[in-house]
Amino acid sequence: MTQLIGSYSMGLILSLLAVGVLISFRILAFRDLTVEGSITLGGAVAAAMLVSGWNPWLATFVAFLAGGCAGAVTGVLATKLKINGLLAGILVMTALYSVNLRVMGRSNLPLMNEKSLMTFAQHLGTAEQPTASGGTWTIGRWVIRTADLRVIGFLTVVIGSVGAVMYAFFQTNLGLAMRATGDNEQMICALGVEVGWMQTFGLAISNGLVALSGALLVQYQGYADVQMGMGMVVWGMASVIIGESLVGSRQIGMLLIGSVMGSVLFRLLVANALRQGLNPNDLKLATALFVLIALVGPSAVDAASKKFRTAVKT
Amino acid sequence: MLDIEQIRKTFHPGTPNEVRALQGVDLKIDEGSFVIVIGTNGSGKSTLLNAVAGSFFVDTGRLKLNGQDITHWPEHRRARFIGRVFQNPFTGTAPSMTIAENLALAARRGRMRGLGWALNPSIRHELYERVRGMGLGLENRLNNAIGSLSGGQRQSLTLLMAGLIKPDLLLLDEHTAALDPKSADQVIRLTEEVIRRDKLTTMMVTHSMQQAAHLGDRLIMMVRGRIIYDFQGAEKRRLTPEDLLDRFDEVRRSDLLDETAASMLQRQYV
Repeated sequence: MTQLIGSYSMGLILSLLAVGVLISFRILAFRDLTVEGSITLGGAVAAAMLVSGWNPWLATFVAFLAGGCAGAVTGVLATKLKINGLLAGILVMTALYSVNLRVMGRSNLPLMNEKSLMTFAQHLGTAEQPTASGGTWTIGRWVIRTADLRVIGFLTVVIGSVGAVMYAFFQTNLGLAMRATGDNEQMICALGVEVGWMQTFGLAISNGLVALSGALLVQYQGYADVQMGMGMVVWGMASVIIGESLVGSRQIGMLLIGSVMGSVLFRLLVANALRQGLNPNDLKLATALFVLIALVGPSAVDAASKKFRTAVKT
Repeated sequence: MLDIEQIRKTFHPGTPNEVRALQGVDLKIDEGSFVIVIGTNGSGKSTLLNAVAGSFFVDTGRLKLNGQDITHWPEHRRARFIGRVFQNPFTGTAPSMTIAENLALAARRGRMRGLGWALNPSIRHELYERVRGMGLGLENRLNNAIGSLSGGQRQSLTLLMAGLIKPDLLLLDEHTAALDPKSADQVIRLTEEVIRRDKLTTMMVTHSMQQAAHLGDRLIMMVRGRIIYDFQGAEKRRLTPEDLLDRFDEVRRSDLLDETAASMLQRQYV
């Protein structure tokens, strides 16, 4: 049960990554690989600040801003310096590896007894001091730590508010223009929007959210690691793809909800696969294969069924 | 109103694909005039429109709009003054967004886009009225994605979007060429209506000799990046589709002559 709750919390945290990927890959139609670096950047900044005793809210917010800067750099490289978008992302991602090491001072930075958003969440609305066992509820055979439930409640509120803000943003004049940028660049340019600036701004928001996800992840798992961003683009894409098939709609609100649902479901699927005996070393291969099948599968099935139908006719 | 002074544009200069698309075009367009642009394939008529819209910068020459020098303005900056409808119905609208959202985007053409609601009730109401005014029955489908509409409907909406904020200059680039005849007629009727109602200064490229003869109050014909005929006033009104076809024939004959002359010279000198 603890494991299930853990996976659920992780899924919620990583749903911000999924929303970030949704914004760059789907809404802006920009293949942004900065994500792999910016999620670590968010984690590194948050961890470094917490270790130095900063307020966890401030640390998390600064992590968001740092991610936004990383995204903006990719945007400027791609739109002002006209570097291929994929390459711009790779350059920034690579540079961020060193930046992250600088920020953390070493490759792995554990949070010991520092106050974090998670310690804050664990004793939300209660006077009890968080202890190793803490309070527990027993439902049938399951023993649930109330602290874990508080964390889930806290994360739900955070993710819900971020989602609501993003949804509202995409209904504003600026947000509408951003969606149109990915949908039809020529049209939005003819309507007076500077496409390059809009893409840069969108990438900043996207990577800001990804870094926010990294900051929460670090506070949840209790350490930052310079390797933690590896494979995160594909992870985010998997969540977005699952989300799209779950909600079956291209409406912006549904896409946002879908990304969160997709992230949680994917995390649960992975946890289950690991419990069934999937070797953790094979996890990234499995994730990549999953995304490959999700990308190629539908058109392959279409082609096959068309072939089948014509074969039946003749 | 619009002053085009000696503009030239060569694409891919110095390569085997070099195209001298505009070779010194001079044109002054008065406020409120409706200019038809015709020409053979590759004559530079669409290039001329794109040069005005700012899709690329001209190599030499100047562009002035309302007395302002816009030669070095990027496309998105010129958009404040220029409304456009493209040949491809897919170019003018964002397919995965709704009709209302597309219109809301056009309602802020060339303006600041801030954090105000794009579709507040008053804007929604105004858009409803404008769409109803088109008489296509789309006013009850404002929340449908544009991608679900036909080419003709999309082109009509693009036209409405281009004129939603009154543009100083309307550019129509063969905007009925990709439509079936019935939709094309409908879009042309709508075009005339919009231009007449708002007295829009317009440049319209067309392939249709019918449209060229019957629409507009001025007609220019382009060949090889230059304007070779410019009909205005009574002269334009007298033009028939047959006259225009004759002119095209003339151009073709002189082209042929050029080729034979060239080959004759080649025989003599090479």
